[in-house]
Amino acid sequence: MRTLIIAAVLTVLPFSASAKDDPKKEAVEAREGYFTLLGANMGPLAAMAKGEMDYDEAKASLHAANIEALTMYDPLIHFIEGTSLDDMDDTEARPEIWSNFKDFSSKYEDLQKAAAGAAQAVKGGRGNLGPVVKKLGGACKSCHDEYREK
Amino acid sequence: MTWSPAPERVKLWDPLVRGFHWLLASLVIVAWLLGKFGPSVMTLHFWCGYAVIALLVVRLVWGFVGPRSVRFQDFLYSPKAIAAYAKHLFRRQPSYWPGHNPLGGLSVFAMLAALLWQVGTGLISDPEDYINVGPLANDVGSELAVKAVGWHHTGSTLILILVALHVAMILFYAFWKRENLIKPMIDGWKLVIRRGKVGSN
Repeated sequence: MRTLIIAAVLTVLPFSASAKDDPKKEAVEAREGYFTLLGANMGPLAAMAKGEMDYDEAKASLHAANIEALTMYDPLIHFIEGTSLDDMDDTEARPEIWSNFKDFSSKYEDLQKAAAGAAQAVKGGRGNLGPVVKKLGGACKSCHDEYREK
Repeated sequence: MTWSPAPERVKLWDPLVRGFHWLLASLVIVAWLLGKFGPSVMTLHFWCGYAVIALLVVRLVWGFVGPRSVRFQDFLYSPKAIAAYAKHLFRRQPSYWPGHNPLGGLSVFAMLAALLWQVGTGLISDPEDYINVGPLANDVGSELAVKAVGWHHTGSTLILILVALHVAMILFYAFWKRENLIKPMIDGWKLVIRRGKVGSN
């Protein structure tokens, strides 16, 4: 029985594996997943800063801590050669990323700097949230402006 | 050259349309520069956009109820009339046109349409930076809101082209046709000849 299952799995596996077969697709999926996570934590922070959502210190600090943690991760490893919008359909990554990779990396460092200490900085009231969101959002914008297709 | 009838000096542009013109020009220039080179938090760009919306509303209403020369009906010409005007465009003489000429009228419609497009796409834009999200972005869904950023960007290029064309034509009229179109837009007075256009006096 076990042999049969293993045989069945081995037969089906090549067809079920999607992104895993293609490192480029995998890279795009990985970095998009990364930005989705960033966005999922930025969303509530921005909503609280604008007053669209009630300020909750614990929640704000948690989302900011998540962003801090996420920026400890290095997503640049997923920007591999041959994965710009010139090469693939399902990405907005401009080819300029690879022709100015140093500048692109420095944009990410800017985000890391903006995120540093955010979990502490957002505590103590809604008024403290605005400057943090502006710093983080500014880092999003300056990179989107240059390297994300509009 | 003698003109028959002779050009007469008339108050062609009313104060409202002149104020509209210069305010709009300033706001569009400021908004455009802020969009390209301004701070990452685009609050001022947003306010310029809201002011442009207010001006566009005023101009659209004025286009139906304002004085004759600013009404849409007065400068909406047939393709034939536009072609006829364009044919004589390079004559080295003033047009003495009593309002927006057929080509200029076309450019007014183009600019109004481009600006409506621009404020529309701006209102629904979501650049996913969490600080410059258009006030109506949440109402249209994120897919459209993200696309709108691209449309807004294209719109800014289109506006740049239309404005450059507008300024180039003003210079062309000034130096080639020797007709100053800037002064009438400042003080309202222009030398015109009322030709036998259908519906005119």
